[in-house]
Amino acid sequence: MKRFPQLAIPYIVWSAIMLLLPMLLIAIYSVTNQGNSIVSFTFTLEHFHKFFTDPDFLLILWRSIGIALKTTVICVLLGYPVAYFIANSSERMQNILILAITVPTWINMLVRTYAWIGLLSDGGIFQSLLKLLGFGEVELMYTEGAVMLGMVYNFIPFMILQINTSLSKMDKSLLEASADLGADRVQTFLRVILPLSLPGVVSGITLVFLPAVSSFFIPKLLGGGQFFLIGNVIENQFITVGEWNFGSAISMIMAVIMMLSMYLVRKLDRDEGAERRVTGV
Amino acid sequence: MKKMMRTAAIAAVMAAGALALAGCGKEAEGPYAGQTLHIYNWGEYTGENQIADFEALTGARVIMDNFESNEQMYIKVANGDAFDILVPSDYMIERLIQEDLIQKLDQSKLNCLDLLTEGVKGLPYDPNNEYSVPYFWGTVGIVYDKTKVSEEDLEQEGFNIFLDEKYKGDIYLYDSERDSFMMALKALGYSMNTKDEAELNEAYEWLVQCVETMEPEIVTDEIIDNMAQGRKALGLIYSGDAAYVMSENEDMGFFMPESGTNLWSDAMVIPKNAENPDLAHEFINYVSSYEGALDNSVTVGYTSPNQEVMDELSSEGGDYYGINAYIPRTGNEKDEVFVYDEATRKIISELWSKVKVAASNA
Repeated sequence: MKRFPQLAIPYIVWSAIMLLLPMLLIAIYSVTNQGNSIVSFTFTLEHFHKFFTDPDFLLILWRSIGIALKTTVICVLLGYPVAYFIANSSERMQNILILAITVPTWINMLVRTYAWIGLLSDGGIFQSLLKLLGFGEVELMYTEGAVMLGMVYNFIPFMILQINTSLSKMDKSLLEASADLGADRVQTFLRVILPLSLPGVVSGITLVFLPAVSSFFIPKLLGGGQFFLIGNVIENQFITVGEWNFGSAISMIMAVIMMLSMYLVRKLDRDEGAERRVTGV
Repeated sequence: MKKMMRTAAIAAVMAAGALALAGCGKEAEGPYAGQTLHIYNWGEYTGENQIADFEALTGARVIMDNFESNEQMYIKVANGDAFDILVPSDYMIERLIQEDLIQKLDQSKLNCLDLLTEGVKGLPYDPNNEYSVPYFWGTVGIVYDKTKVSEEDLEQEGFNIFLDEKYKGDIYLYDSERDSFMMALKALGYSMNTKDEAELNEAYEWLVQCVETMEPEIVTDEIIDNMAQGRKALGLIYSGDAAYVMSENEDMGFFMPESGTNLWSDAMVIPKNAENPDLAHEFINYVSSYEGALDNSVTVGYTSPNQEVMDELSSEGGDYYGINAYIPRTGNEKDEVFVYDEATRKIISELWSKVKVAASNA
């Protein structure tokens, strides 16, 4: 069969311009300083130094990663059973359920997060409900809980869809084989289904953790102006302070952290996969 | 001065819709039929009939974009996007004049300056109103719940009431670096236009003390609805928003500390690269006229620069009768208008971002 590799050229050019170039600019910004009228910029590492020597920034970075991790864990714990349930439904039901998970993502995230403001705010439905149940006037908005809720709500569809894909792709004859060999349902789940669905979990984790760690409008809307995560720090540097170089440096630090964590997750997945093959589950 | 994120989102959708609809209307009639006016204004800052009435009057078509901060507007204008009318705030107008981005108004085409109240004319950013005609004006002050806050505390402490632990956990700050630093500098007795780094640092310490000991919520326009519902005792607020809050909730009051505050004005200007300056002058005249100004002020709730409208709305039977926030204070020598200074702006934004970092680590 004849191939047309040159057909890929427009795509390569396009992604170079639209993806690589902006990244490159950020990288350049992060190690430079705006110069004077003679030299347009000078190289420096001071932005990185400024970030790593300021305990306030490190504390925020730490908290951002913590919240993103918690969000990811909750998404796995809630998303897996849902995905499992969907994968085991009849085909018609599966289509309906997948649609139900996907439909909300058609609406802009910003709008959906605004809806939560109404639900969580003082005098809103949830507060009234808690009051009825005898919890008193619980402040829901502008708390870490509200931010976590917003994140889990916004990102859990990615987790469910990923896990569901790997579960429904699974060869059902493996389950029959497992049963034939005397495994009960729990054993089959733990030793066949769960390991085979791990790639889905891993890509789900990727899709949840990455946006969660850098999200800035969810903490801004649900956490209020006094709830800063690392994404807000970056946004603030670009939009209001006008320190593009420092903002770029923080973005680069975040990019490295994300790449590292992805590398670790994938490695874990690979190692486990290798182990499975060796022990021959 | 208003900053509304939801508006930006909705406005984008509506603008798209408006464009689609505009195509099917009948050919309009009027002196400017077939022409287009591009306006760049704050979100939720126009009278409900402003655009329709102006279109009917002139036959021109109006396209309006919204911004949520002066800085956001500046980036677009400095990048060369062409608009016929902008509505920036005082200090930003000063910057636009300095950078030669807006044109002198043709006084022969204007018939509205006589209608404006004295207090808003000839402010320092444009002493002879050569470049700008005020759109709204007001001050910044403290909105407070009369049932929770004693007037005595306000009188004695002024802006320092935001450090009074009696009101801990019961205050709103406004998420704006300029207004927050204005409050801190005025509380300390300095000019809000100071360039002295020691004074700015003191103000920064003041704000850090506030966020670390008072558990404030740092919000933007949420303050309007929340104070109207009486959720907190105190908040920093624009007078126009306070007027709305007070008209919704009788328990609310508005206080301007004797130590001075910010007198601000948002005004209409015409950029250098405007495509239709004639029509833009027409628009300035219309907005400043009695009809245009009344519609604007009744819908938005900010103070009209049109003397007649201001008098009518604040006198008996008017929408803002008995609401002190509607009439900006004039005559206090410590009240100031913002002066644009790039170096100071940078220091303040960096310090404010550190205040917010401190607030989230508190």
